[in-house]
Amino acid sequence: MEFKDYYKTLGVAKDASAGDIKKAYRRLARKYHPDVSKEADASARMAEVNEANAVLSDPEKRAAYDALGSGGAQAGGQDFRPPPHWDAGYEFSGAPEGQGMDEAQFSEFFEQLFGRAARARHTAGSARGQGGAGTAQRGADHHARIELDLRDAYLGGERLLSLRGARLDAQGHLVHEERQVQVNIPKGVREGQLIRLSGQGGPGLGGAAAGDLFLEVQLKPDPRWRTQDRDVYLSVPVAPWEAELGGPIEVQTPAGTTVQVTVPPRFKPGRKLRLKERGIPAATPGDLYLELHVALPPASTEAQQQAYRALAQAFPGFAPRAAQGV
Amino acid sequence: MPSRSNELHDTLVELLGDGACLSVQDLAHACRMQTAWVTERLATGVLQGELQHGQWRCSGASLVRARRLAQLETTFDADPELAALATDLIEEVADLRQQIAALHARLGLPE
Repeated sequence: MEFKDYYKTLGVAKDASAGDIKKAYRRLARKYHPDVSKEADASARMAEVNEANAVLSDPEKRAAYDALGSGGAQAGGQDFRPPPHWDAGYEFSGAPEGQGMDEAQFSEFFEQLFGRAARARHTAGSARGQGGAGTAQRGADHHARIELDLRDAYLGGERLLSLRGARLDAQGHLVHEERQVQVNIPKGVREGQLIRLSGQGGPGLGGAAAGDLFLEVQLKPDPRWRTQDRDVYLSVPVAPWEAELGGPIEVQTPAGTTVQVTVPPRFKPGRKLRLKERGIPAATPGDLYLELHVALPPASTEAQQQAYRALAQAFPGFAPRAAQGV
Repeated sequence: MPSRSNELHDTLVELLGDGACLSVQDLAHACRMQTAWVTERLATGVLQGELQHGQWRCSGASLVRARRLAQLETTFDADPELAALATDLIEEVADLRQQIAALHARLGLPE
């Protein structure tokens, strides 16, 4: 594995004070905050910054890390293996709960030295020493986002998810693995909703259960529709004569079915037609709103251009820019 | 309660709906915080939940919000109310960004 230069990640000197480290961390956390940053790799950079801070802000971890680095082990880009018992005399394998830190995205370097693998070794060591079973600790929950089509929300669907994770082998060494899980997406899923996959999070310690994987749903943006809670707003183009004269039109719903609706005469901008309970399915389904807008037919031929001229002659008093004073 | 569950490849898939389906322990574990941290924020209304037979129960939306709060508080040592205000603003911005993206898509404008 590659040696991580945490000082370089935070942009601080090796003799930086705890205050300097905190300031640097907060500055970078603000810069790469996934909800705010426009950087393409903000999430990955934020994970790196969190990882560096998790070590350098903890005096015990920092001391052990400094001792590790002082042996010339930090040659950049070279394969790195910590010497045996490198962490002897340091106490940093305490419970991670209560720190609000998600180690799921941290590097193999962190995992082997300070993370779950290290805790597993400590747990196994103390269990051997005491003749007990060690401390059981449930695996961490993992969080990810999944992008779905609106059709999936209506009908449900199957998704093959590639999950990158890690497990601990019998010796407590971290083994990275990629696995695929086929997931049935339940119908009725909405933007921002969570799907929980039990037991698909981080591995537990001491025989405890694995954590869960939470998937936050995002619906793919589409020019034809938008959603608000369970209500769906569908953009429906109508011809000028349909808009003004009214009449039946056919509309394809996001579920793929075709429905016939009657457009009322006398078009009004912003008019919506409501199809009750045709929104996202649920015990109380949402509604489907058809947002009508006029689509002008292009005048490609002489006959079509003549039709527009005839229209202009039929409405001599029509002043579309009257509200603008012209 | 979860609105749907399926057993598939030994994986229980649950859609966490509007219902109060998560315990304080679930939220605390997902946020990697103590349960007292969660109950304090439920009691002050920073997080939304329902008291059922003396036990708090929360929705999936509360879990997403709790994770944001935890991240802000731990990263910046933020006061809980300040973290809640920032979270409110983040949620508002996300909502507005979604509306703008939908509008851009509808008008055929680049994002």
